[in-house]
Amino acid sequence: MQFGIFTVGDVTPDPTTGRAPSEHERIKAMLAIAQKAEEVGLDVFATGEHHNPPFVPSSPTTMLGYIAARTENLILSTSTTLITTNDPVKIAEDFAMLQHVADGRVDLMTGRGNTGPVYPWFGKDIRDGIDLAIENYALLRRLWDEDVVTWKGKFRTPLQSFTSTPRPLDGVAPFVWHGSIRSPEIAEQAAYYGDGFFHNNIFWPASHTEQMVNLYRQRYAHYGHGTPEQAIVGLGGQVFMRKNSQDAVREFRPYFDNAPVYGHGPSLEEFTSQTPLTVGSPQQVIERTLSFRDYAGDYQRQLFLMDHAGLPLKTVLEQLDLLGEEVVPVLRKEFAGLRPAGVPDAPTHPARVAAAQETSTEGTQA
Amino acid sequence: MKLVVVSAGLSTPSSTRLLADRLSAATLRHVDAEPEVIELRGLATDIAQHFVTGFPSARLAAALDAVAAADGLIAVTPVFAGSYSGLFKSFFDVIDKDALTGKPVLVGATGGTARHSLATEHALRPLFTYLRALVLPTAVYAAAEDWGEDGLAQRITRAGAELARFMAPATVPAGRGFGSDAGPAAGPGPGPDVDTAAAIAPRSLTGAITSVDPADGFEVVPFEQRLAALRAE
Repeated sequence: MQFGIFTVGDVTPDPTTGRAPSEHERIKAMLAIAQKAEEVGLDVFATGEHHNPPFVPSSPTTMLGYIAARTENLILSTSTTLITTNDPVKIAEDFAMLQHVADGRVDLMTGRGNTGPVYPWFGKDIRDGIDLAIENYALLRRLWDEDVVTWKGKFRTPLQSFTSTPRPLDGVAPFVWHGSIRSPEIAEQAAYYGDGFFHNNIFWPASHTEQMVNLYRQRYAHYGHGTPEQAIVGLGGQVFMRKNSQDAVREFRPYFDNAPVYGHGPSLEEFTSQTPLTVGSPQQVIERTLSFRDYAGDYQRQLFLMDHAGLPLKTVLEQLDLLGEEVVPVLRKEFAGLRPAGVPDAPTHPARVAAAQETSTEGTQA
Repeated sequence: MKLVVVSAGLSTPSSTRLLADRLSAATLRHVDAEPEVIELRGLATDIAQHFVTGFPSARLAAALDAVAAADGLIAVTPVFAGSYSGLFKSFFDVIDKDALTGKPVLVGATGGTARHSLATEHALRPLFTYLRALVLPTAVYAAAEDWGEDGLAQRITRAGAELARFMAPATVPAGRGFGSDAGPAAGPGPGPDVDTAAAIAPRSLTGAITSVDPADGFEVVPFEQRLAALRAE
């Protein structure tokens, strides 16, 4: 099982000081956070993609290319890459390039964005959102899986004998997670291709996550990729920890109460009871995270949102120390102990290359 | 059968609740149904939080499910600033867009004077029409002065009979029930063609008409179909 962090990349004022970081400070903080993730032994760093203030990460592969050079083991991913408004040809090229730069430590999470106007900004119509996700991804797959592509579709100019370069590293394209919060169509898409399904559950009750993940698992089996238990599931989560849980609550409350995404609605207590947000001791975070398994089944990737609500960089780095030292080692052991045989590990490039070679050898023998 | 009554009255006692109860009693004289009253006052913060978080609390979800599962709905609001109250509108803003499709709805409103009596027609009726409900012809508005006059009771009786007829169309003979004071009607009769599409539409476990497949909670259009639809164009 893989553990990591994902960042939205928002520039949010620290409510305790009123000070907002500059874009430059925020971008540098995200890079520092990613390097810290590797240092404390996490497996994955994923960045969002946004094209509007107060968010800064509009160019994920630029950022991930830098991080690739500064890390050795960290898997670089996105949360999410806009499959609707980005040209699938450019996604194929950018992420294949990043794959080579990072020696295969790359995967991709597709999504449809968090703001309606992003569609017209890129010349698209939001009413085509699902159809864009379907057509663009179908093309992306072909560009990665076939060397020469002739293609005609509804939303993009046709391609004649087109080869996307560079070709995927070792002939194996980046693994793809389909991220969705509430669209069953996307769970269905992930299941159809046998790709991963990431449910970003951070603002949703467990009952909803359970429904979405179960749909994906059933359809994954329906399409013959394995049993429902073998489907590749990822979940989010967001935490704030101190050794003493009361200190965590006291310190985080002003951030919660004023954050654009949390504040001015339910109380911290109500929100933590209804969503995965956990504010407390490392032990409480461990117990809460293990409970995700009760409704989502054995899953492959857990990403935490740590740099939220305007927390200063220093605090986020302290949080990552706690996550890497006290939480994740226990979670690795506990989840591994609970996982039945037959549930696959999280996909990695070396494992997928090995599997592809095995398949082609079998093909030769047959 | 289930009759759900939504009241947006704020005070205790509330004339909005009083009107809702009278409409409920008038309906139940003609149809055997289990009534459930939802007081929006007790859900006010849950409704506001739903707007902020995007999902309902367990209490609010139960109320929304009850409305979706009802065979008939009575919805009564005080008139504020010439229209339904914000709380009333907010409740119907967060309900599933398909929850009221084809459902018979009796609307009522209360106010200080008769000056706003058309709020039922220019505010409530279009709201429920938008939600594809079957809004009954008689809407009941009660001004303060109406509580001392005979006309209100007659309108309540007429409205209750109308709702009962559309909740249980087969038990009320055609041509009876509308404004009839004849008491409980009996015997089979042709029911109104309420909404053929609604009658055959998929229903969730709660009985609400929905796009969701009750088997797994979500409708699934097989992926090949979606892909093929794009290719065909």
